[in-house]
Amino acid sequence: MTKTASDEPVDVLIIGAGASGAAVAWSLADTKMRIVCLEQGDWMKQSEYPTNKTDWEVQQFGPFNIDPNIRKRETDYPINNEGSPINVVNFNGVGGGTILYAAHFPRLHPSDFKVKTLDGVADDWPISYETLEPYFGQNDRMMGVSGLAGDPMYPPKQPPLPPIPLGLVGETVARGYNKLGWHWWPSDSAIISQPYNGRDKCLNLGPCISGCSQGAKSSTDITYWPEAIRAGVELRTRCRVREITLDDQGMADGVIYYDDQGEECFQNAEVVIMACNGVGTPRILLNSKSDRYPNGLANSSGLVGKNLMFHPVGFASGIFEEKLDSHKGPQGCCILSKEFYETDLSRGFVRGYNMQISRGSGPFHTAIQGYMNGKIPWGPGHHEAFQKRFDHMANIGVLCEDLPEECNTVTLDPDLVDSNGIPAPKIDYTLSENSRRMLDHGLARAEEVLLAAGAIETTSSGLVQAAGWHLLGTARMGKDPETSVVNPWGRSHDVKNLFIVDGSIFVTGGGLNPTSTIQAAALYIADTMKKNLANLFD
Amino acid sequence: MTDLISTDHPLTNPQQQTLSALLDVLIPADDDGLMPSAGEVDLGAYVNEKSRDFLPALISITDEFEAPFAALSFAERLEQVRSWSEVEPELFQKLLMETYAVYYQQGRVLEGIGSKAGAPFPEGNTVQSGDLSLLDPVLAKPRGYRRV
Ligand SMILES: Cc1cc2nc3c(=O)[nH]c(=O)nc-3n(C[C@H](O)[C@H](O)[C@H](O)COP(=O)(O)OP(=O)(O)OC[C@H]3O[C@@H](n4cnc5c(N)ncnc54)[C@H](O)[C@@H]3O)c2cc1C
Repeated sequence: MTKTASDEPVDVLIIGAGASGAAVAWSLADTKMRIVCLEQGDWMKQSEYPTNKTDWEVQQFGPFNIDPNIRKRETDYPINNEGSPINVVNFNGVGGGTILYAAHFPRLHPSDFKVKTLDGVADDWPISYETLEPYFGQNDRMMGVSGLAGDPMYPPKQPPLPPIPLGLVGETVARGYNKLGWHWWPSDSAIISQPYNGRDKCLNLGPCISGCSQGAKSSTDITYWPEAIRAGVELRTRCRVREITLDDQGMADGVIYYDDQGEECFQNAEVVIMACNGVGTPRILLNSKSDRYPNGLANSSGLVGKNLMFHPVGFASGIFEEKLDSHKGPQGCCILSKEFYETDLSRGFVRGYNMQISRGSGPFHTAIQGYMNGKIPWGPGHHEAFQKRFDHMANIGVLCEDLPEECNTVTLDPDLVDSNGIPAPKIDYTLSENSRRMLDHGLARAEEVLLAAGAIETTSSGLVQAAGWHLLGTARMGKDPETSVVNPWGRSHDVKNLFIVDGSIFVTGGGLNPTSTIQAAALYIADTMKKNLANLFD
Repeated sequence: MTDLISTDHPLTNPQQQTLSALLDVLIPADDDGLMPSAGEVDLGAYVNEKSRDFLPALISITDEFEAPFAALSFAERLEQVRSWSEVEPELFQKLLMETYAVYYQQGRVLEGIGSKAGAPFPEGNTVQSGDLSLLDPVLAKPRGYRRV
């Protein structure tokens, strides 16, 4: 029997406490409405992150693995990736993906919102860079972002904190870019380079993607959530939503979820906001079938779960004669290059990519990678080969724009279920010819830069499998209910009190990490809701 | 030299000797004595504490290399391990992973490779901020984003 969670309906029910759920909760809190967020995962503790322990690198293969199918926490749900060369990676807990993200924090470019107009492919967003500009700034201040003003590849912007250190890796690779006359710039990073809002600055521990023990990485459990909770938002953890329910008029009237005891509960709500990411959101919508919506909720367009975009990624690595201290400093954030970001059809593909210089790995990862790619033998010669690579490496990640294609989907797996019996998502994705060419081009350019910077040896990974970090496009926004799932401010075309604020609403993905734009869009949607409170459902 | 203390060891003395001789082949000591051999690490105790699922496999590996193995020359042991790695590639890889995992946590090893021993937090690392005048050529170029 379903237990009713509360006699009182709440005004706003948010599902998911990750990047976008936190931002929307904080922004709506000043309305003094009763707001509840249901999150399937737990609060994290800084004292439990791997870098507190000597076996920090080993934990990245287990409880802090980025792949939920390997991590297998009770709070994770399985994902069937068999139909995709890229595996979905995520984190399920307060903070969502920001717990494990690398914290690269670029904004989409103005041109990314007008892809159809400029390049004749995909679609334009119904909103522009200018629409989001104030929210980008607001989000940077709330999260705590470090960077350098003046990048000629962006409209003017002013990050609140100075950039994180370039280190020897950044300086060395920057010289390579300068030799070739190509663009580079210190990365905008959601990592605080100076004390900020009661948090202490980055200690250059290294592996940001296993959680930050110092709390210098701006994950939403330590940025937005404390403020949202102080302002009255209630956050319930270990509550996994199964489906959204409807009243007789076809409006959402609440959700059925499983609490920490596995008990089925019902929470009544006036407004439901989904913030479960580009895989979790279509999963719940598709699982919310009814007579009125036999193909899943908010899916009259048939587009829920379609147009899944990742950013296909590959890495080029360079070995340098000199020591670069590469395992020190935020691993994923250093400098980036937008030299090949905007379309130039002479390159053999449309749209573009960004190059992100990342630092090297710790010793255990160096040894394992070296064994896997045949560069560091076991047995005699191990130490020599290890010393040649450890702390002597610089990497360039090539992050490609993926265009939306209806054949790339999230559907419900017919057999696989999570620990509550909710169908797991199934991913079907094919790397397009355009993306493949782009990646090949990018990896060749990345090796060129590394050689220009003085690398004595370079290698390239090809497409990386465990790199489905960015989950976008599966409930796209648009003006036309036939070709989009939500309207330009995140409201479902079909169900007027249902909103989506996570990465699913992206129309195109750009060639950049999306979280800054996901959160700016969530703040914009919250603001638009506040401006329209009196006639929110008209 | 291991940092692990174990009172209830999962391997018998002969098994420990065999394992040590095997690990010595996987990561031998270096010539100048800076880097120790993996044979000095108590992998049995580590696996018992941190990776228990692997313990039965570890015991069966030590049993596979029979008693005289530890007394063989390095070249002979290397030859035997190499042939075994080809027959049992998955098991070999798992053993190697566990060996690297424990080896590259040892204080002496980390110091030997120029890294700090122990957990990265709270000490952290110093990283130089870098020379931002390197950006001068980038700034000299015209605006590079597309107008819409
Ligand atoms: C290893 C890694 C590195 C990354 N690096 C970067 C980077 O450098 N820069 C960048 O911009 N992005 C990065 N990302 C991506 C970034 O984390 C995501 O873009 C961002 O977190 C997405 O925000 P979201 O709000 O859409 O969803 P999420 O942050 O994923 O939040 C979704 C939340 O919903 C919860 N949820 C899902 N389903 C349910 C349910 N049924 N019931 C209750 N709760 C539910 C989940 O538990 C989760 O907490 C990285 C991600 C990973 C995993």
